Amino acid sequence: MSISKTLNKSLWVYHVNSGSCNGCEIEIVATLTPRYDPERFGIKLVGTPRHADVILITGPVTKKMKEKVLRVYHQTPDPKLVMVIGACGISGGPFYESYTLAGPVDDVVPVDVYVPGCPPRPEAIIFGVVTALKKLEEIQSKK
Amino acid sequence: MIANKLSPEQIIEKFKAMLGKAVLAGEIIRRAEGRKQAANVQIWLTLDKAALKAAVRLLCSLHYPHLAVISGYDAGEAVVLVYHFYIYYGEWRGEYNVSLRISLAKTDLSVDTISDLIPGAVVSEREKQEFLGVRVKDIPDARRIFLPEDFPEGVFPWRQDETGIPESMVKKLYEAGKNEGEKRRAASVDSKSTRQE
Amino acid sequence: MATSETKTHSPIKTVIGPIHPALKEPIKFIFEIEGEKISKVDLAPGHNHRGLEWMATRRNPVQILYVAERICGICSIAHSLTFCRAIEQAAAIETPARADYVRTIFAELERIHSHLLWAGVAALELGFDTLFYKTWEVREDVMDLLEYLSGNRVNYGIMQIGGVRRDITPAQHPRIRKSLLNYTILFDELVNMFLEDSVLRMRCRDTGLLTREEALQLCTVGPTQRASGVAADVRQDNPYCAYGDLRVKAVTPDQLLDEVRGDVFDRIIVRLLEVKQSVDIIAQCLETLPDGPLLAIPKIMVLLNHLKKAEGEGIGRHEAPRGEVFHYLRLTADRESPAAWKVKASTYSNLLSWIKMLQGEQVADIPIIVASVDPCISCTDRVAVIKQGKTAVYTQEDLRRISREKTRRLRQG
Repeated sequence: MSISKTLNKSLWVYHVNSGSCNGCEIEIVATLTPRYDPERFGIKLVGTPRHADVILITGPVTKKMKEKVLRVYHQTPDPKLVMVIGACGISGGPFYESYTLAGPVDDVVPVDVYVPGCPPRPEAIIFGVVTALKKLEEIQSKK
Repeated sequence: MIANKLSPEQIIEKFKAMLGKAVLAGEIIRRAEGRKQAANVQIWLTLDKAALKAAVRLLCSLHYPHLAVISGYDAGEAVVLVYHFYIYYGEWRGEYNVSLRISLAKTDLSVDTISDLIPGAVVSEREKQEFLGVRVKDIPDARRIFLPEDFPEGVFPWRQDETGIPESMVKKLYEAGKNEGEKRRAASVDSKSTRQE
Repeated sequence: MATSETKTHSPIKTVIGPIHPALKEPIKFIFEIEGEKISKVDLAPGHNHRGLEWMATRRNPVQILYVAERICGICSIAHSLTFCRAIEQAAAIETPARADYVRTIFAELERIHSHLLWAGVAALELGFDTLFYKTWEVREDVMDLLEYLSGNRVNYGIMQIGGVRRDITPAQHPRIRKSLLNYTILFDELVNMFLEDSVLRMRCRDTGLLTREEALQLCTVGPTQRASGVAADVRQDNPYCAYGDLRVKAVTPDQLLDEVRGDVFDRIIVRLLEVKQSVDIIAQCLETLPDGPLLAIPKIMVLLNHLKKAEGEGIGRHEAPRGEVFHYLRLTADRESPAAWKVKASTYSNLLSWIKMLQGEQVADIPIIVASVDPCISCTDRVAVIKQGKTAVYTQEDLRRISREKTRRLRQG
């Protein structure tokens, strides 16, 4: 199924945990379960960044994970979008100061869509993906 | 049923009899919750650090202890370690919580390993080495466990003195984009343009 | 470097992690593999270290409560409850009985949700997708119930030092009872699906063995320990909250199958039985919910003042879904923030057991063995780069594929 004229393939998502508390992770997975079923729109979680259009990043990015987040970012083919899920990736959230954090996420990689919440509800995540989709279409149509 | 079960008072007596003056203090705390029908037992013992191993051996002779964790804190002149053990588990309200407290002077932060008696203690001992700067003698695996490999030597996150985390190492995430909002916006425009290339 | 002198490639060093989709959390395993067999295992945790215990030295106890809740999003009740119990002992606060019962109900709901989540993940690792979607669908119902009672799907914000922040009113009981009935029906279905499936049994029986002695020596906790035949459970051994009035008994696999092997299958049985146990506990709590206040000190400012002046230390313990969570807390009168806070999560105690379980097993069994502990890395690492040498890297996707192929082979064979 083609989602729109410009994006003629399904949107595939890759998820990176950069030191999150798991709350956003389970909400991301809950988003993919039959209750919300975004796979009917072709949105699915993939196992490698090389297949992905959108990278979901959760967590405040620990120093140990910074290099890995960058690696994932570079492995994802263009055009790509980065989505931050959760308050801690946006501004630190409850982990607002620490000696072991390199975040927030937009200090590490450029971010396109922010989904706030601790954790955001599945509806919010889906809304974020839809917003990302629009942005991706814009990028593609400018090509 | 666990045979030859001692009462909390008898356990403290036994420690005093076996270790003599090395037992610096002993206390029994009982706390009840819910409808408060019965209380749980906590035994707190303060020991001389030289007696730690003998104390753990004594616990092993009573009932193979489960080590929950070794906790520790900076007490000014000394670093205090608290070993939290449980014995007599596996029975309804049977368990005693035995906490052994030892104090290490900052001039000599070494302590014997207990991992030969309880192999599972290694994780906790490795953690204490990197977070409090204590030195565990004869530890089978002295590598770092949770901190990054490039973490500076001689900095210990849980210490409150000059070896603690210096303010310069603290990253304030909430300040992200405080003064560089413009710069950031410019950067994101850049990244967009590179994407289109 | 790979010159002719490296004729033999055995053992091959394989790195898994720290980013892999199945576990949702960063941890790194380094395996040495000979043929299909794992000969050596090493762990590199710490990718999730955020320095929470250090952060706590710069915050007041009520602020820490919110951090404690976010140690782990799945065990958010476990950590906040344990933190509250530790600080209540340190500051000599007695919780009202009703609060203890409400705490128990939430803790058990969390256990149901966590075990269902785990059962789904385990099924996924084995390539049993129907079961995965089935369990996660029901898990959504638990999430709905938790949302109905607390207002949040994850990170419930229900615990407060000295009690709970929200009541469970009689009007809410029918909705809870309805869900409990659903879980009972589901429990029977799950038992059938997990225990009667011969392929699942072939994959899980005698895989990832951990003997009783090893379980004791490596200080394992929770279902990992109980599946190896150690009948220890904080709710039974040292009953807190409402458990003291309920007579909880530790679940061991021999209660269903008359034997204990300490393998992956036994861990599945223990978790399934615990879901049933939790349903019973919640039903009992609802029946015997005592009346009274919800908070020992209702005003936050009064509470903070009390905590500021308090001096002492306390231990908080809770049998979380994955095993015992332990907090040690020390308050001194000269400062508002605690002088020390040590968090011990369940996976922290279970880390070393992985090494024993994985040794000698096949590569295809790595996902299910790792998952059988129900790891929670964000709990364990709280507190903080791995140089990848020239090593073959399996992505989790590859591993899951291998694992699924094995299931398929068995199914056809």
